[in-house]
Amino acid sequence: MRPVFDPFVLPFVLGTTFVLLYCFIGMIRIIWQLPKEDRRKFGRSLITPKTLWKNIKDLFGDCLFHVKIWKRKPILGYMHSSIAFGWFMIIVVGHFESVTFSPLKGAELTPLQDLASTLYLPIFFRFFAIEELSLKAQIYSFLMDFFLLMIISGIVIAVVKKKRPKQVGMKRVTKFGIREDLVRIALWTIFPLRFLAESSVAGFAGGSFLTKFLGFELLFGGNYNETLSMVFWWLYSIDLAIFMFVLPFTRYMHIPAEALLILLRNAGLKTTEPRKGYALAEIYSCPSCGLCIDVCPMSSTGDNYKKTAVYFMRNVRKKKRREVKKMTEICLMCGKCIEVCPLGIDSLNIKIAQRNKIYYKMKSDFSYLEGQQTTDNRQQKDSQVFRFSDSQIQNDSKTVYFAGCMSHLTPKITRSMVKIFEEAKENYEFLDANGSICCGRPMMLTGKIKEAKALIDKNTELIKNSGAKRLVLSCPICYKVFKEEYKLDGIEILHHTQYINELIENDRISLDRSDKHYVYHDPCELGRAFGIYDEPRNIIDNIGLLTPPKSDRDMAVCCGGSIGSLTMTLEERDEITSNSIKDLMHNNPEEIVTACPLCQKTFARKSPIKVKDIAEIVVENIE
Amino acid sequence: MKERNILIIGGGPAGMETAHQLKQLGLHPIIIERNDKLGGHLAQWDRLFPSSDDAEELLEKLKEQVEGIEVKLNTRVVNIERQGQTFHVTLSNNKTLDIDAIILCTGFDLFKAEKKQEYGYGIYNNVITNAELEKYFKTHQDERINDPKRIGFVHCVGSRDVKVNNTYCSKVCCATALKQACEIKDEFPEADVYCFYMDLRMFGKGYEDLYLKAQKDFDIKCVRGRVCEVSENMEGKLVIKAEDTLLGTPMKMTLDLLVLMCGMEKADGVERLQAMLNLNSSSDGFIENSNPFTEMNCTKEKGVFVVGSCTSPKTLPDTLSEARSAAMEVFNYLNDNGQQTTDNSL
Repeated sequence: MRPVFDPFVLPFVLGTTFVLLYCFIGMIRIIWQLPKEDRRKFGRSLITPKTLWKNIKDLFGDCLFHVKIWKRKPILGYMHSSIAFGWFMIIVVGHFESVTFSPLKGAELTPLQDLASTLYLPIFFRFFAIEELSLKAQIYSFLMDFFLLMIISGIVIAVVKKKRPKQVGMKRVTKFGIREDLVRIALWTIFPLRFLAESSVAGFAGGSFLTKFLGFELLFGGNYNETLSMVFWWLYSIDLAIFMFVLPFTRYMHIPAEALLILLRNAGLKTTEPRKGYALAEIYSCPSCGLCIDVCPMSSTGDNYKKTAVYFMRNVRKKKRREVKKMTEICLMCGKCIEVCPLGIDSLNIKIAQRNKIYYKMKSDFSYLEGQQTTDNRQQKDSQVFRFSDSQIQNDSKTVYFAGCMSHLTPKITRSMVKIFEEAKENYEFLDANGSICCGRPMMLTGKIKEAKALIDKNTELIKNSGAKRLVLSCPICYKVFKEEYKLDGIEILHHTQYINELIENDRISLDRSDKHYVYHDPCELGRAFGIYDEPRNIIDNIGLLTPPKSDRDMAVCCGGSIGSLTMTLEERDEITSNSIKDLMHNNPEEIVTACPLCQKTFARKSPIKVKDIAEIVVENIE
Repeated sequence: MKERNILIIGGGPAGMETAHQLKQLGLHPIIIERNDKLGGHLAQWDRLFPSSDDAEELLEKLKEQVEGIEVKLNTRVVNIERQGQTFHVTLSNNKTLDIDAIILCTGFDLFKAEKKQEYGYGIYNNVITNAELEKYFKTHQDERINDPKRIGFVHCVGSRDVKVNNTYCSKVCCATALKQACEIKDEFPEADVYCFYMDLRMFGKGYEDLYLKAQKDFDIKCVRGRVCEVSENMEGKLVIKAEDTLLGTPMKMTLDLLVLMCGMEKADGVERLQAMLNLNSSSDGFIENSNPFTEMNCTKEKGVFVVGSCTSPKTLPDTLSEARSAAMEVFNYLNDNGQQTTDNSL
């Protein structure tokens, strides 16, 4: 029997101890930084059976199998899951194997020796083991070889991805610095070195198809060379140590961090501080995979792909304040990056929290909310700018319509809605027919939460006093803030696509169907934000033929007009708009239909064909 | 010397004046016009700024001048092929002409007001364009104009507006707006008339006087600020929101009539001609000339000339003087050409 210790295990033991301590302290720090309420919520979630089950499911699904990447890009899905799951299985199976066939069986060990050997024995098991011919041992070594092969195949794809991204379906991949390159090379070489090390001793330590037959018999010609073998084992251990020591300072920190993020996410937590607590967990969890680069609308405009979510997260992590500010402000907030992110990292919330910390020279005058009016003789007579409609049908009125400022700039939409309400004989009130108070979303997007609150409170009061049972909105920008920030208990909030769809389903309006070809554009704040994809499509199905664009539903393009960006130039926006129109024109539709006044306006500037709101085409086709 | 044929595309003031001057120089101009009459936008206009001269009078004069000149109405260019210095032009009536020089006098189109949905043109009944108001002055038939008590003019509709991709100034709308404001006030003396402007660019002779007259004699109220939103109230009146940037306040106002001062845009169909003649556009979409100082009527294609608002927004006096200079340019070009041909044949 071989001794159960050899100096070559030391680098690995030190590296692993370091990384475990680092992660433990980091975890405590993140949890400590959470607001008190969130911490309690997190604690409770860990003992709630339902979340517990979801945690287990997600830990396997997201960290090991990378289900979300599989769905979008199967090759990349295989690459990530083969490495993650293969490695995980090598640790698990290796552990069982080392326990079952431990060379230490029956030996008396001090607790420290015991701990150290549990740490390194499964990793270097072959070095200390003697081949056993039982079926059980053979199955074990087969499994170990199988998972090793799986990892190596994943690494081959990773090399291809690095050299030829197009082969795996990516246009652009993330660019890295020297430290990241070093750690990547360390990672890529761990398993080939393990293969060499295990193969070199497979003659007497045992192995299966990979290490014993391919490695030992074919590669080494069945000969055992002690010096060479020791070199491999040392390199393997040192390589692991390099990886472990550098890991906390590189993107591979995502491996431990994402496990914590999943638990926090499932507890229902959200970013409140731009670089603390939940945000920090997200920052460390970003694997820099770069899937967000190609989908970002900015990637089509010059150098702006360098401002996409992956680079943003990296700069936040490195605390590069100037870059962070730039990237924070330019983002259109379309949310496509969250949609493709394997971990669903919500970089938009981090950006909003960042914007909250940026000082903007801005004067907010909210005196008008209290009914004080501006003093200009010429307009005194008419100035009721900021009072809602005076009609007093309050108590009977079940449905109120709030058009919002954007819809007031596209009067075709408000007109169409009025016609639809009348056609459906709805008992309705056009709440802001004479002008409205802003819904607060633009303020939210600039991170001015307090200012937004002032508007939200006033609107809430006005809407509650109107006696409304349902609130219909035409603007998805309003819809988002009404859904998320307003507390209108007992009042149902609907976007007009939902409302009109309901009218059709209840036969309250009837439509003529033609064979006109429409393409539907999903507004970001309706589609990705709330998953309202089917209602508008149902409506169009009742009017004409729906032609799909190139990118549909959750991958729908941004119109480029988003109020999310604070700094993007008109030229850059125009480029995005033109690209998006190309995408929509993919199947030669006759008209572009959308459900957002801002998208409608933005597309209309550049589109070769008519761009209409869904309410307009409904009115055009009422029987 | 054989007779020189010059094709003038467009029978508006630019085309008519150019044709007249060429004929004076002993050349043979041919005007083709896609509409059924000569005159272009001038034929739709009632009076001209700055001193409200009769548009018809000018039109008649221009028409008299082109008497005896070959004019083909309801005709378009279908194809142009160049062979050395001769253009073989095929027209929509299937006839082919051999032409020595081509002059583009294609003019402009008025900006389509529907594109600014927030002003409500085509949605609200009482929103009209400058051209429609001019037509009303000519015919006095427009049911939308029914003793209005409050009238607003919006300047720069489709001009100096990146949101509609037009960043240039249309040059004529400021003066037209004030002219029309005075005229409508004259028609409805009880009405309050407001002009919403960004800047008033009263650059030409007599324009500044018009501005002063409008305020002093006609009590036109000029508000520096843009109208941002138009809606309609229960009584069918227009409600506009604007900003008075001199007072620094937002304002809201009800109106009976809103007139949109639509600017100039590249004319429809010119792109097709440009493709046939291999001509470039400048960044504003209008045709590019060779040099704004010395060769304003020339293009990068020898033998192809440009006159009037096909290269940029222009006033009528601008256009007419360009027509005269272009005639000279063409004359010199043909003479030089003739010289060369003779030289070569020797």
